[in-house]
Amino acid sequence: MRHDSPVARFWADFSRSPVAVLAAIVVLVIILLALCAPLVTPQDPYDLANLVLRDARRAPGYVGTGGYSHWLGTDSQGRDLYSAIVYGLRISLQMGVIASGSAFAIGAVVGCAAAYIGGRFEAIVMRIVDLQLSFPAILLAFVIAAVLGQGKYQLILALVFAQYAYFVRTAHGAAAAERQKDYVEAALSIPLSSWHVVTRHILPNAMPPLIVVATVQVASAIALEATLSFLGVGLPPTEPSLGMLIANGFQYLLSGRYWISIYPGVALILFIVSLNLVGDQIRDQLNPRLQR
Amino acid sequence: MTVPLLEITNLKTQFPTSRGLVKAVDGVSFSVAPGEVLGLVGESGSGKSITGFSVIGLLDEPGRIVEGSIKLEGRELVGLPSHELRKIRGKTVSMVFQDPMMTLNPVLSIGTQIRLALEAHEKVSASEARKRAIAALTQVRISDAEHKVDFFPHQFSGGMRQRVAIAIAILHGPKLIIADEPTTALDVSIQAEILVEMKELVAKLGTALIWISHDLATVSSIAQRVAVMQRGKIVEIGSTLDVLTRPQHGYTRGLLESLPSRAEPGQLLARGAGVVDATPPPRIVRTEKLPALGSPYLVIDAVSKRFEKKSGWLRALAVKAKLAEPVMVVQAVDAVSMTLKRGEVVGLVGESGSGKSTLGRMAAGIYVPTSGSVLLNGQAIMSQGKHPRKLTTRIQTIFQDPFSSLNGRMRIGDIIAEGPLAHNLIQKAEKDDYVKKWLSAVGLDPDFAGRYPHQFSGGQRQRVAIARALAMQPDVIVCDEPVASLDVSIQAQIINLLIRLRAELDLTLIFISHDLSVVRHLCDRVAIMYRGQIVEEGTAAEIYDNPRHDYTRRLLAAVPVLPVAAE
Repeated sequence: MRHDSPVARFWADFSRSPVAVLAAIVVLVIILLALCAPLVTPQDPYDLANLVLRDARRAPGYVGTGGYSHWLGTDSQGRDLYSAIVYGLRISLQMGVIASGSAFAIGAVVGCAAAYIGGRFEAIVMRIVDLQLSFPAILLAFVIAAVLGQGKYQLILALVFAQYAYFVRTAHGAAAAERQKDYVEAALSIPLSSWHVVTRHILPNAMPPLIVVATVQVASAIALEATLSFLGVGLPPTEPSLGMLIANGFQYLLSGRYWISIYPGVALILFIVSLNLVGDQIRDQLNPRLQR
Repeated sequence: MTVPLLEITNLKTQFPTSRGLVKAVDGVSFSVAPGEVLGLVGESGSGKSITGFSVIGLLDEPGRIVEGSIKLEGRELVGLPSHELRKIRGKTVSMVFQDPMMTLNPVLSIGTQIRLALEAHEKVSASEARKRAIAALTQVRISDAEHKVDFFPHQFSGGMRQRVAIAIAILHGPKLIIADEPTTALDVSIQAEILVEMKELVAKLGTALIWISHDLATVSSIAQRVAVMQRGKIVEIGSTLDVLTRPQHGYTRGLLESLPSRAEPGQLLARGAGVVDATPPPRIVRTEKLPALGSPYLVIDAVSKRFEKKSGWLRALAVKAKLAEPVMVVQAVDAVSMTLKRGEVVGLVGESGSGKSTLGRMAAGIYVPTSGSVLLNGQAIMSQGKHPRKLTTRIQTIFQDPFSSLNGRMRIGDIIAEGPLAHNLIQKAEKDDYVKKWLSAVGLDPDFAGRYPHQFSGGQRQRVAIARALAMQPDVIVCDEPVASLDVSIQAQIINLLIRLRAELDLTLIFISHDLSVVRHLCDRVAIMYRGQIVEEGTAAEIYDNPRHDYTRRLLAAVPVLPVAAE
């Protein structure tokens, strides 16, 4: 039985790699946990009224004033670490998806437009992108975050600014290659409008490399956000993300209270590695050179 | 009876894939005598190339020989370890591949590549290697070999590159050369030269040759014996004349009958087995008055097309200072005028680089002419201004490669309905019905509308492309090599489809092709293009029976001709 739609064929190939399937399951579980955070955690770590200082810095397994067991221990303010991690993942995911999604949209539109229109517009846009890609993303994000100040939206803006260039570059390359193909000429010779050709023909076919970049960039946006928060220019302390949890526990790391830093770190690594494994598999599948 | 040089018995080569076992070669037996030229003919997927690769142990993963024996001078090759095979490869048996662009290393000079090939089997000094390289190039008629031995592959034309590949193949005086479609990528006139030279060369050296090709005509002009392959089996083998004039097997007969050069011009060709005749296409409701059949309709008025790379000011400065070469300008089409009458089929013939495709694309409104204009029924087909757009929907195009001309991410129903919906020829509600009508009009199952292009074969895809063009209800169709990438029997089906549709829909066709026999079969008038200009134009009979221009004569003489049975 031949598989019908491109999506079905894609899944058939994807399911052949057990590592990628496992990674995809981890990613899905983390996403589900993050989405249903209030339902699966015993405590709302943002509600300061919930926090009891007597419970601070307790080891994993400690049964606190709330009457439930803190499986991963508590941090310096008496937060249940498990709850904090799940809520932290929620923020990380939110930031990663919104920032990468915006960068994806901007990159796809600008890149495709540059490839289709060509000429001076293409030259200017691509040189700006080249210029920006010559700086490390972390440096750009750091400067922007520092200039704009702390806050969710400021951080998203910084992340988008640090990442959009990758998407523009990728979209431009893919669209420029598709632009030359016969089916685009066929569509133009009907004639269909430029808008129609770009949105219905070029963009869908330029998608595969963009999707690959997107999976990797979500992971890198999450890492970037954690780094910025760790350094103190990311999210405000009222919304502790994973980076901030790690930073908070950092000072206790050598005093035996390892769990405050280690567990959020493990959660972060697990999520980013899984995302990258999924991205690798997608890249392998969509790479025409590796196709049989 | 001499002892055979190569004897293959019951060879079976299989590819275990995720979609099941592919029996590429399924019990093939034949032998080649020393100095004999054997043609191996078949359509794509018949296993002819895999048979060739099996002999020298160059099978791609996961292919392997599961049964049978290959004996070279009595020595069994099946099961030989790879280092033993390597000693034979290039020395006793050598190979010439289809694409000379791919087989030569672009970063090494020709001389270096020949030296490496020499060093693979013997010890030679640098100066001797150079001498041998020059001698080898001279042998394949490359003039000025002392100078050209230092050239890189990109400095050679396709034909020259293939000559270099042949020179490397004969370097060690092999007993057998396996040539896999060696002239398929070349123009007819180059093909004719290579055929003659190869024939002389193997006769002089006493080398046996296995010539693998899909083209019966080229095989017949070089091979003494022919083996016809179908689905991994040899269905017929015998002397070339016998097989081509008195074919015994139904498949061989079908293959020969589907050749346009064998049929009366304009007649339907014999179709491959199991092909359903298409139902007549739906009539078009015309709203405007069109000129009568036979009156001038599409006028190509002195169109030229120049391709030049725009250079920036920095480069312009460098050119001025003689630091850089000026940007190359290619004059693809040079002031060509042509008038097509309504209902006429005009063939545009030329070799690669002659500008025929560029002219076709300007007539179809895909390329904007650098100067001149194309008028349909007295109206320009492109708008004026800085960014001209195609105005008419009455000219549509069919492209050469049906694998790249269909968007792989759209269902074929959407591909066909896209244009008509965008131009309000049909409403959304009528879409399914309309698509089904056109699918059956081109001989496809109407229920295929929900499928994706990858689920179709090349011939079926070309039918989809034809349906897409026709669904726009055009009067003129520009066909750019529409059958060049198809097998002979599929080619016959598509040609038949075009002959029928043209008559039923009163279509005017521009048929671009390098294949003179297809053009003769299909076209009323023929224009021969050479270096961007039309050098000769006339009715098909005039051009083919009484060519006036030198180039036309050369072109016609280069076409290999099949022997015809004496009645």
